Amino acid sequence: MIRIAAVGDIHMGPDSQGVLRPAFETLPECADLLLLAGDLTRHGTPEEMRVVAREVQGLGVPVVAVLGNHDHHDDRPDEVTAILRDAGTHVLEGEHTVVESGGARIGVAGTKGFGGGFVGRCAGEFGEPVMKEFVRYSRRSADGLRTALEQLGEADCDARIALTHYSPVAETLAGEPLEIYPFLGSYLLAEAIDTAGADLAVHGHAHAGTEHGMTSGGVKVRNVAQPVIGRAFHVYHLPVRDRAASTAAAHAAH
Amino acid sequence: MSTHGSQDAGGGPAENLDYRIAHLQDRLASGELGELGVRVEARGQAVLLTGTVPSSPCREEILRTVHEELAGIPVHSDLVVTEASSPDHAEELA
Repeated sequence: MIRIAAVGDIHMGPDSQGVLRPAFETLPECADLLLLAGDLTRHGTPEEMRVVAREVQGLGVPVVAVLGNHDHHDDRPDEVTAILRDAGTHVLEGEHTVVESGGARIGVAGTKGFGGGFVGRCAGEFGEPVMKEFVRYSRRSADGLRTALEQLGEADCDARIALTHYSPVAETLAGEPLEIYPFLGSYLLAEAIDTAGADLAVHGHAHAGTEHGMTSGGVKVRNVAQPVIGRAFHVYHLPVRDRAASTAAAHAAH
Repeated sequence: MSTHGSQDAGGGPAENLDYRIAHLQDRLASGELGELGVRVEARGQAVLLTGTVPSSPCREEILRTVHEELAGIPVHSDLVVTEASSPDHAEELA
């Protein structure tokens, strides 16, 4: 069994240093890794990300993160990514990492993702340049996720997890106004997950959403935005699959 | 909410509650707080705030901004501060 702790949307600032640390220090007892599903800061400033870095440094379990839209607000994603990486966190954007923890090889593929909406109610790559770029940006994010998951399929992992900030499915947005769904996620992320294969998809972003969902391909989705889970993090116990079967499934997906 | 007549609070374009709420939400998002997670809705003659915010100082700052932006409008706040405790159980994924 692999024990996955996850939280998103912690929105830290100078006044929140130390708020999550006591709970995070219990992680080695209950989890094999911690996933951070973006929106770690309020405005994406280096000062705010240093608060996050201190909060997660030296926890005793690997920490894997993606950025969220708030972490981009100050237009310094590379700088805040570097701050988090210096603290030992794996920060993914169209990338993957394999962490060995609790005797398992756990693969995580991550991207911030973007909006666009869900099948039948989504933006199209048409019209004004800014509209086309909106959809292309979302598509590039999803392509990066698919490629990263495919690479994990070749990496002999016990489990593959898709980590995003934006939602791959509409189900975990239930509770948010329907009108803003296209700003909360994109089906392109779910299509990438279902095409490449994954054991679990974790996202944040939708504070008023719902924890549980599933892609149409049957991959479990969990919205771990902190206001949704109402805790410092949630823990999911994932059964370890037969590694040979996992690799065969990855090949079958190609 | 629909109102008519210049004597009525909310009658003129500058006093229209819908637009005042929209401007408030813009200010909450773009200002010091970067707050996109607070829902602001007109309820009768009052305004209701709901959502979860990261800290007590954030909540106080939001309420201060709301009272400033919506001066003269009764405000009901149901904002809660994020819970930072460890989970008491794990979910078993079959």
